[in-house]
Amino acid sequence: MKVLVTGGGGFLGRAVVNRLLERGHEVRAIVRPSSPTPSWPATVEVFRADLRVQEDLVPAFDGVDAVLHLAAATSGNEDMQFSSTVVATERFLDAMAKSAVKRLVHVSSLVVYDWSKATSCMDETTPLEANPYAMGGYTIAKIWQERVVSRIAAAHSWDLTIVRPGFIWGFDHTQIAGMGRQFGRIYLLFGPLTRLPLCHVDNCADCLVNAVENPAASGEIFNAIDSDDIRVWRYVREYARRTGQRGVLLPVPYRVGLGLAQLAALTSRWLFGSKGKLPSLLTPRRFESQFKPIRFSNLRVKEKLNWTPPLNFGECLKASFHHKR
Amino acid sequence: MAKLTGVLIGCGAIAREHLTVLAELDNVDIAAVCDISTARAEAAAERFGIARSYTNHRDLLADIQPDLVHITTPPASHFPIAMDCFAAGRNVFCEKPMVTQYSDFCTLKQLARDKRCMLMENQQFRFHSSIRRIEELIRSGELGDVLEVQICLSLNITETGSPYVDQNAPHFGLTLSGGVIGDFLPHIAYLVYMFTGQIIDTHTAWTKHKSSSPLPSDEFRGMIKGERTTAYVSFSGNAQPDGFLIRVSGTRMRVEANLFEPPRLVVKRSRIGEPALMTLVDGIAESRQVLVGSVAGLLRKLAGTSSYDGLKEMISRTYRTIELNQPQPIPLDEIDAVAHLVERLSNVGD
Repeated sequence: MKVLVTGGGGFLGRAVVNRLLERGHEVRAIVRPSSPTPSWPATVEVFRADLRVQEDLVPAFDGVDAVLHLAAATSGNEDMQFSSTVVATERFLDAMAKSAVKRLVHVSSLVVYDWSKATSCMDETTPLEANPYAMGGYTIAKIWQERVVSRIAAAHSWDLTIVRPGFIWGFDHTQIAGMGRQFGRIYLLFGPLTRLPLCHVDNCADCLVNAVENPAASGEIFNAIDSDDIRVWRYVREYARRTGQRGVLLPVPYRVGLGLAQLAALTSRWLFGSKGKLPSLLTPRRFESQFKPIRFSNLRVKEKLNWTPPLNFGECLKASFHHKR
Repeated sequence: MAKLTGVLIGCGAIAREHLTVLAELDNVDIAAVCDISTARAEAAAERFGIARSYTNHRDLLADIQPDLVHITTPPASHFPIAMDCFAAGRNVFCEKPMVTQYSDFCTLKQLARDKRCMLMENQQFRFHSSIRRIEELIRSGELGDVLEVQICLSLNITETGSPYVDQNAPHFGLTLSGGVIGDFLPHIAYLVYMFTGQIIDTHTAWTKHKSSSPLPSDEFRGMIKGERTTAYVSFSGNAQPDGFLIRVSGTRMRVEANLFEPPRLVVKRSRIGEPALMTLVDGIAESRQVLVGSVAGLLRKLAGTSSYDGLKEMISRTYRTIELNQPQPIPLDEIDAVAHLVERLSNVGD
């Protein structure tokens, strides 16, 4: 199979390209013009383009059997993220509509869910966030990106799979939102026993390649997480130890953190009405979406695709930190 | 009284500032937004509860007859969109810089007059609370004669990750004379014009500090002699921290403000007394002004007030003049003089 990968030069993209090659596929990777080419074999076709501005993207689809759409911004202000994630996707899919390719695997995120409505376990039936603008720029962009993908895929009757990974982590990307906040030598852990929806980058890549290959993925939506066995305390302890960043782990019960955020929100509303603005940590909805102590199910991807993450947590730690030690 | 109708073309970052302000105006209803990106137009409409969204501004102008069109697209598209608005007989409120070359402004100005339409450029800092306070001090005579104005705008546009140096998607500012600095020159120019009046002479220097930057220039200095006073201006793409500093020196006092941190304003009066004691008195007075201004600034942020101090006042006045059928808040000839000054300053070859 020949697979076109957007965001090929990114953190997840590099792992996906490697996994596709391991599985014997041909790969064409879209890499931004100014980004260095990752150390890939010469068989990987590199298509230089920035999806936001490239005049003609249609040639990228020539001879392609399936598309893995990973491109998205993870930093920058709200407008930059919207442009890099949503507008770029719109332009890319408009070009895809002019090609013969019908198979699309889109990488979304767990942030598209309404975390306040996930009562005990988050799975694919959890309602989607209906008010994206109460959230941050990344969430707004990922919600809109999924809307755009779903809409255009439906309009062209494409064979679409949406994969929503949890916190993707791995070498050089070991700091994740659910860890809490680091203030100097102090790690503030909101809900130290909260389960983390971790998805190691190599496991995530394997899941995505599985979704491309497996006909059972057609028309499906999957949450991709390794498991929810690892809790905040353990992850941060491993992180601090393995990065050599010794510090004090200060646990704050989730309810206390959320209570403070709710108090701040009430005060803001009392003083400034609905217009009031608070930092992310003191915005209850955003606090919940990072630290809510719920379970995360990967039952669907296991059942439908018969997928199990190839690496366990210990192996993931080894793969992610051994270079640093 | 029926509400006035506005529409907005171009749904990027600055559009959100316009829409935030417009949502607070009781006499205005935003009927539609437009962007070439369907998602961006729909997101803006959803976020601000606007009924209609378009991807082609001509379709919008054919369907809706707004009292005012906000043009918030990148500068290169301002001219053709404004031409279409005038062809439809609509008033225009355009983001700065209104045009990429002065001759285009002259065409728009003539057309606006022929069609009896309003042509406004966003010159929000003219209506900034600190600028209005400085104007009051001048008008009341407290500041004395204005001897000099200094305007220093510092923005770290060359840092890694800055959209101004994004080599994958070149910033729209690169199409302007003066490169991306040209995107900020209108702010400097209209503030200068407020204090100097008619321009007599200009001198500029453009340099490049960061050799690795893809920008043709990242530093700008200028001296502008006007009929009332002289202004020293600068834009630095490297000086840190970011700030938009204005200092007005008069015969009786000196006033300083950072326009990025409203409403902080420091007034230094000339005092009579024991110099050592006066140093202490001045220090205490300055500290008090900085503290009060900083607390007020923090409260502004927590209150969700737009960081674009002055924009609400400017947009509100624009709609008010339409409602009352009065002349536009900034006379067209003054916008012309500012556009002309921008062209003089942005001539990198000087």
